[in-house]
Amino acid sequence: MKNNLLVVPVILPLFTAILIFLISNIKFQKLLSFVSTTFCLATALYLTKQVSVKGIQTLSLGDWPAPFGIVIALDLFSGIMLILTMIVSLAALIFSFKTIGSERENYFYYAFFQLQIMGINGALITGDIFNLFVFFEILLIASYILMALGGKPYQLQETTKYMIINMVSSVLFLVGVAVLYSTLGSLNMADLSVKVGKAGDQGILKVIAVIFMIVFGIKGGLFPLYFWLPRSYHAAPSAVAVLFGGLMTKVGIYAILRVYTLIFAPTLSSINNIILIIAGLTMFLGVMGAVAQMDFKLLLSYHIISQVGYMIMGLGLYTPLSITGAIYFLIHNIIVKSCLFLISGIAEKLRDTTDLKKMGGLMATDPSVAYIFLIAGFSLAGAPPFSGFFGKFLLIRAGLEKGSYLIVFVSILVSFFTLYSMTKIFKYAFWGTAPENVKKVQHNHYFGLVLPAACLALLTVFIGLNTEWVYSYVNSAAYQLMNPDLYIQAVLGG
Amino acid sequence: MTIVISPFVFGLIVLPFLHKIKLRFHKWVGIVPLVLFLTILKYKSSIINGNIVSEAYQWVPSFDVSLSFRLDGLSFIFALIITGIGFLVVIYSKKYMHSESAISRYFSYILLFMSSMLGVVLSNNLISLFVFWELTSISSYLLIGFWFYKEKSRYGAWKALLITAGGGLAMLAGFILMYTVTGSFEISQILSQKELIKSSPFYLTILVLTLIGSFTKSAQFPFHVWLPDAMEAPTPVSAYLHSATMVKAGIYLLARLNPVLGGSSYWFYMVTFTGILTMCYGSIMAIRQRDLKALLAFSTISQLGLITSLLGVSTETAVIGAVFHIINHAAFKGSLFMVTGIIDHEAGTRNLDELGGLGRKMPFTAVVALIGALAMAGIPPLNGFISKELFFEAVLVDGWAGYVLPALAVFGSIFTFIYSMIFVISPFLGTYKPKEKTVHEAPWGLLLSPMILGVTNLALGIYPKLVADIISKGAANILGKYVDAHLSLWHGFNVPLLMSLIVISFGCLLFSRLNYVKHIIEKIQMKKINLNKLYDLFQTGIPKFAGFITEKQMTGFLRDYLVYILSFVFLSVGLTSLFFMELSIPNLNLERIDVYEYVVAAIMVVSSIFLLFTRKRLIAILILGVIGYMVSLFFVLEKAPDLALTQLIVETITLVLFLIAFPHLPEITEENSKRSTKIINAAVSILTGLTVTFLMVYSKAYKIYESVSSYYIDNSLLLGGGKNIVNVILVDFRGFDTMGEITVLGIAAFSVYALIKLRLGGRKYE
Repeated sequence: MKNNLLVVPVILPLFTAILIFLISNIKFQKLLSFVSTTFCLATALYLTKQVSVKGIQTLSLGDWPAPFGIVIALDLFSGIMLILTMIVSLAALIFSFKTIGSERENYFYYAFFQLQIMGINGALITGDIFNLFVFFEILLIASYILMALGGKPYQLQETTKYMIINMVSSVLFLVGVAVLYSTLGSLNMADLSVKVGKAGDQGILKVIAVIFMIVFGIKGGLFPLYFWLPRSYHAAPSAVAVLFGGLMTKVGIYAILRVYTLIFAPTLSSINNIILIIAGLTMFLGVMGAVAQMDFKLLLSYHIISQVGYMIMGLGLYTPLSITGAIYFLIHNIIVKSCLFLISGIAEKLRDTTDLKKMGGLMATDPSVAYIFLIAGFSLAGAPPFSGFFGKFLLIRAGLEKGSYLIVFVSILVSFFTLYSMTKIFKYAFWGTAPENVKKVQHNHYFGLVLPAACLALLTVFIGLNTEWVYSYVNSAAYQLMNPDLYIQAVLGG
Repeated sequence: MTIVISPFVFGLIVLPFLHKIKLRFHKWVGIVPLVLFLTILKYKSSIINGNIVSEAYQWVPSFDVSLSFRLDGLSFIFALIITGIGFLVVIYSKKYMHSESAISRYFSYILLFMSSMLGVVLSNNLISLFVFWELTSISSYLLIGFWFYKEKSRYGAWKALLITAGGGLAMLAGFILMYTVTGSFEISQILSQKELIKSSPFYLTILVLTLIGSFTKSAQFPFHVWLPDAMEAPTPVSAYLHSATMVKAGIYLLARLNPVLGGSSYWFYMVTFTGILTMCYGSIMAIRQRDLKALLAFSTISQLGLITSLLGVSTETAVIGAVFHIINHAAFKGSLFMVTGIIDHEAGTRNLDELGGLGRKMPFTAVVALIGALAMAGIPPLNGFISKELFFEAVLVDGWAGYVLPALAVFGSIFTFIYSMIFVISPFLGTYKPKEKTVHEAPWGLLLSPMILGVTNLALGIYPKLVADIISKGAANILGKYVDAHLSLWHGFNVPLLMSLIVISFGCLLFSRLNYVKHIIEKIQMKKINLNKLYDLFQTGIPKFAGFITEKQMTGFLRDYLVYILSFVFLSVGLTSLFFMELSIPNLNLERIDVYEYVVAAIMVVSSIFLLFTRKRLIAILILGVIGYMVSLFFVLEKAPDLALTQLIVETITLVLFLIAFPHLPEITEENSKRSTKIINAAVSILTGLTVTFLMVYSKAYKIYESVSSYYIDNSLLLGGGKNIVNVILVDFRGFDTMGEITVLGIAAFSVYALIKLRLGGRKYE
């Protein structure tokens, strides 16, 4: 199905950014960002609805036929991701209004923010592997500046590491694309899928598959490639950390799921045990990092790593149930993780520190924040009836049914430590007594601070209680991933 | 459904809302459990007639997860305890907590718990049971930590949550395994497929996982360590959650799944012996406590052990005893906790050393305490005596266990007798000790609830037929067959009676030598490892261990990270190549390469190596330029003049920029790392380079499919209208890419500007 609206999620943020660069009135910039992001969210919802009714939507840019031109395509998986991206962006944007400060606002913060969205959206909808590279470049360069904007020494120091490691990954990406193009002679992902399917068992394809695992693994924060992650997210301003913590690594995971289910599915059988080992180690080492921390944001950052392991576990098991579980988990995690980062931002605002030992008493001074955290924290730990429970439930079930007991054991162990570290935050930051002379946030500011987190917390409760409804979409999304013919047919035609 | 949901609604929505609009509804909260109690009681006749009330709502039908509820004899008994004791606790709390400013929050938590607990016992679906199970853990966590400004409350709450929720996770795995065997989460369906589970290879795993869940929740040895620390909760909470209801969730699960998991020797030995050991351990430990609540906590552990061991034996007598004792324990332990609360409230302390002679000042409380303690000790004519007799009768099993179990049962019961005596005699008799001089009888608001429970104890003891029919139904549900319970005070002269007499006489004897007994226990205990230490070791050790393995890899140095990442690159890519590829490069034709190309390549290689060793910044920049210009020469040799031009421009601009920034660039400093580190770094970079080179050459030679580029050649002029294919590709065929790249450059430009202009200084937090 051809659909011209598909360019909106990419083009709209671009134009918004250009307008923001041109007009210096901050109030107007805020309004424009808000309207544009909301509109983008609406488009994402509308497009995904269309996908679920009419099937995968595609658009050949410049009307050059696939596989020669660039095709962008939206299936249910990318549609769901698109919606989530816009939801989290909207939450982070509203949070930015209250927290980012006028200095950064004067230096194009909102423009960079829009370009970041453009990069993520582009990576989600593109159907072309080189174009994916381009959008990764956009989202990366936007993330460098969002992370470093403000120029504090700590920010610059961590951004440099982040940047150099990601440059290495970009070079590898390019190597991967080059090798792929040189052996298969195409860049269109659907076309590549057909060709890999026909080529049969070729060693070089497995090597390429591994290269892409590394490339996206660096972005996604997999073992042993995640080193850049915790501190760089820690260095970023809170509102930006929300966007990064919630979304950025997941774009890497999205790319892994996309590329592996679409192009490299035939190679999966020979490397899925390696993927499971990576998943287990990612989960475990990530959660261990979290357990060791006494800093709110740093602890959450390590959890990103740990949670990513669960999604890769879904891919490693590679059954319809496990892929469904992975997507469900991805949805849940994006929402909850963003919510937790929002709360850490609020707590930072209220206590002027992210050091857990210096916080305390938030339950007494700000009970609403405490309850939002409690919901999100328990959800992350997989406690019912929140969304996290069913994510883990599906993955554990898929693992048990496939007989991969070790990974199931690790995932349960990691769940326990997740609970441990979430309640550790609760114990130190929310319980206890407040330090003396705490700042009081003005009432009208308070609403803007808490609203986005509250909405996301409600969403995790809603998803938990309405799992059946969410599942119907997730299940079809997984079905599309497990049956790449649907995607191929939509892109290349009959 | 309404029964389960209504406390939720009241607790989570109505109460906070009314609190916001300043209505003091919390005074009338008691209505909720009372109405529920009466509603459930209405079903009594229908339950006794053997009917089962069930109700089901779809939740996630795709996972076979539903909110289905089922009221049979067993859940009926539990539901009555939950709402009945709940009602009394709420009335008691109203007075007990009246000075608490957050009382509305308190009642919200209590109602949240009540809902969850009702959910546990009424669920007919394992997953919905699990959901409510975890919710009871969470609400217990909030209630223990209610006074969150106290360090001990936080410690106790955290400990309780970690142990019970951790056990819950194991249990969940057990449930899912049960599902993979039977294909259903509905308890009633699983019960009908018990043979399938018993014969499945997973039986033992399922059993162990489920038992872990049950034992952690019901504070069985060695998971009991959380319960004494949970006593930091307000006393009504301890009475309600940590003696009458929540800790019995594990027992409930054992009872409920007994038809499926029970009946094997694994079940018998694991459950019975865990139970009886817990019982002995708990009662011995109770004796040495100074704090009345701690005494009751260990007593609860011991009593739960008793019930567990009965379920392990699971003969008809045992099960009847278990069900009856569940009711009795809720009644007498509830009243004793409330008495403790009264003492604490009036005398200002719960420490046995500071209590004594309260009997004359507070006679009603003393009577209630006496009834409760006698019931606990198993003295006629109280309910505890009857269930104790049933217990003694039940442990007389065949085989060697028939000697060990009764001995342990009597042994544990002697200590039970002793601590029960301590509970009445120490605070109420003897000389008057409290510092507070004006101790007087508790107000009616506090006395009413324990008195009702005291009367219940007496009534159930004298006239046990009151509940005989309903206990039969409950026991029948546990055993999965018809049961007729005959309960009476007098069983005639038999072995159990003899055992009771031994208990009472030895109990009296040892009680008169109490200090000596305590001394011995303390001596033994000092030498043994304290299980609490194990938990504390976990609490300090895990972060340390985690910190250790994290610091090992997260060094903070970019170079380390790159070494790790690149090692992974060449290892994984290299190994996959070794395993799956032939390493000879097909059609490798070196003759095509020009002499010029060798020269250019050689210059590049030499300058790269030179670059590594130079210490001068200017030279480094110039060498970089040389390499760049060589790349453009390559483009010339490969007949791509436009690319060569582009590359030339890029190189020139880069060079100029470098020179402009030159004064700001730092000096290159000498490397001070170890020789071994240097060698590893060099090896990693060389190997990575070789891997990538090999891959590029290989893929250049090894084409599976022809490239799509012929399309561009054919159509560039025809459809694109341009003679330069590269241009047409850039601006037309793949114009979307170009737009993206332009965006990248634009962002870079603005970023540089923003970074130079905006410096927020060194503050780490915003």
